[in-house]
Amino acid sequence: MSPGSLSPTNTSAGLAPGQTVSPLRRLRSFRILRITAIWDAFFVALGSLRQNKLRTALTLIGIIVGVTAVIAVVTIIKGLDQTVAQTFSSQGSTVFTVSKRPQVITSREDFIKFNKRKAVTPDDADAIARLCNACWRTGVAVNSVQPAKRGDQKIEATQVRGMAPNHMFDIDGVAIDTGRVWTESEGAAGADVCVVGSDIVTNLFPGDPADRAVNQDIWVGGHRYLVVGVLQPLGKILGISRDNRVYIPFATYKKRFGIDFSGQAFSPSGVLVVFIQTQNAQQLENAEDQVRSIMRNRRGKIFNDDGDDGFALETQDVFLNLYSSATSNIYLVTIGVAAISLVVGGIVVMNIMLVSVTERTKEIGIRKAVGARRKDILTQFLIEAVMVTAIGGAFGVLTGFGTAWLIALAIGFPLLFSIWSAVLGVSVSSIVGVISGLWPAWRAARLDPIEALRAE
Amino acid sequence: MTEATIERTQASERTQASTLPKPEVSSNGKAQVLIAMKEIWKTYDMGAEKVHALHGVSFEVQRGEYVAIIGPSGSGKSTLMNLIGCLDTPSQGEYWLNGKNVSEMDDDELARIRNQEVGFVFQTFNLLARATALHNVELPLIYGGIPGAKRHEMAMQALSEVDLVERMTHRPNELSGGQRQRVAIARALVNNPSILLADEPTGALDTATSYEIMNLFEKLHEEGNTIILVTHEHDIAARARRVISIRDGLIEKDEQIK
Repeated sequence: MSPGSLSPTNTSAGLAPGQTVSPLRRLRSFRILRITAIWDAFFVALGSLRQNKLRTALTLIGIIVGVTAVIAVVTIIKGLDQTVAQTFSSQGSTVFTVSKRPQVITSREDFIKFNKRKAVTPDDADAIARLCNACWRTGVAVNSVQPAKRGDQKIEATQVRGMAPNHMFDIDGVAIDTGRVWTESEGAAGADVCVVGSDIVTNLFPGDPADRAVNQDIWVGGHRYLVVGVLQPLGKILGISRDNRVYIPFATYKKRFGIDFSGQAFSPSGVLVVFIQTQNAQQLENAEDQVRSIMRNRRGKIFNDDGDDGFALETQDVFLNLYSSATSNIYLVTIGVAAISLVVGGIVVMNIMLVSVTERTKEIGIRKAVGARRKDILTQFLIEAVMVTAIGGAFGVLTGFGTAWLIALAIGFPLLFSIWSAVLGVSVSSIVGVISGLWPAWRAARLDPIEALRAE
Repeated sequence: MTEATIERTQASERTQASTLPKPEVSSNGKAQVLIAMKEIWKTYDMGAEKVHALHGVSFEVQRGEYVAIIGPSGSGKSTLMNLIGCLDTPSQGEYWLNGKNVSEMDDDELARIRNQEVGFVFQTFNLLARATALHNVELPLIYGGIPGAKRHEMAMQALSEVDLVERMTHRPNELSGGQRQRVAIARALVNNPSILLADEPTGALDTATSYEIMNLFEKLHEEGNTIILVTHEHDIAARARRVISIRDGLIEKDEQIK
């Protein structure tokens, strides 16, 4: 096409024929127009939200509740995840246990059934130690809850754990802070010695440092023990302290509290648990198989017997599985709550936007009269809807983090504020704004300017 | 450059200030024709029967004219005003405004024409209640895509035209009726439109203020603006140079005054 073929009839007097800047200039002015109008729409939206503070606040509530729920739960569960991961890694994936009943029992019937089983005895532990070549270390432990006191200082309930041999401290993942563990001979002789968790020092020796507790006597379950060592603190999990413990030699425990091998449903003196540790995680499965067949042999069970083994062989996976199924349920419930409140919130926003469009019909008419096009009006009301929901989302993020923080303070776990959950909270609620603002904004954009100007 | 354009120096200066260059009307030599209405019909569908608000109205308005359209209520003058102001399109007939065929345009094209070519002045002022005088005047420029600094400058110039610069931060409810109407006139002028379209501009004002507003229109006319005034009051219409009388959807009289 030659420049001369551009017909001068359509060209205005000011432009020379063949001048090609014009479309570019029009495009540029068009883009400026959009930005200018959008910027104005922001201020209009802000003004209108400020004008109706109460209404804006009420509109926000639905969105805030939804986002708060999500943020709080996500934050709490992330904190718990870390705590749980740390807790179970302290015992490690090389440890498993054999006991007459599982560590987690979900029904009363099961509880009674498991307690009718034949007890696991120290002889079983010896057999395992002797016969299992994939096993590295074995030990026995038994727990019960007893009161403790020293002078006027009392603890209503503390966990007394009798265990042997001394490498059970390593298997348990605890380490001496000050003092010592009991000697092998003390342990074998059933000496009245104990190693205590840091809570015992805090409560029975108020104000004293840990080393002041060493070589002092305390009373646990009606007997006197000499404190020979204090353990490094383990902290809390789910608000329950893991430092409120008194460790005593297994022989001492047996002498003082007895160990119930009778098979009764409820034994106050605790149930024996055999702990087995392998050198590394690869050997765990092999060791479990060996221990299972050793135990079956000792119970006279046949290989591939479909019946009950009569003992529980468990790794820490039991807890992790229970935990992850619990948290995934919590996630599901939260997503449900959030979805419902975001839908309700969205409907509220839509309703309020429709009211706003009706109230401001005259304003829309004026804007259209001076040259606002449909998309200008559409943009204005969409921005307003998105602004409401984005502010709601931001508030929700803040209150969600706040809630998580309060709960973390109350039950004690690390707080992990994640940026992505904040971004997600705000952007999801903004999307709700777009969806619920679209119809009201479209109605506003389609208003007839003459009709709109006539409105009061 | 013709003598006619030199005479309207002020007007053309303001035209140059606008961002988009406007073509000097059509090529048929009638450079002065700003509004051309040809056999305009407007029919409303009222259920079963059809109501004709306008029965084939035709007239032309030259650039720089000061025209009053007068008629009783129900005469079709509001319909005519909506058509002239590009708020609506005719059912039949052609309407050419400043060389553009408006009668075929869609909503958004009409909005653009209103933004560029028409300045509205309403009986009830129709200012944004929550916005300052300055923001009200800036409104057409916002939709015209004029960037901030330029917009402010143009709005200030329009406010000084109506002598209200010192009230620019006031909201409409802090202004008197006459001041509000002057803000509305500044808003109408700010985009340098082809026509200033006033619908009963003194209808909500007392006599003294009406007089003041009419003097302002007189001044704007002398500066070269094309003004179309829609009214039902004869003494207001008498201030214009030409009076078009409408009755039952038809032009009854079209007379020059003085």
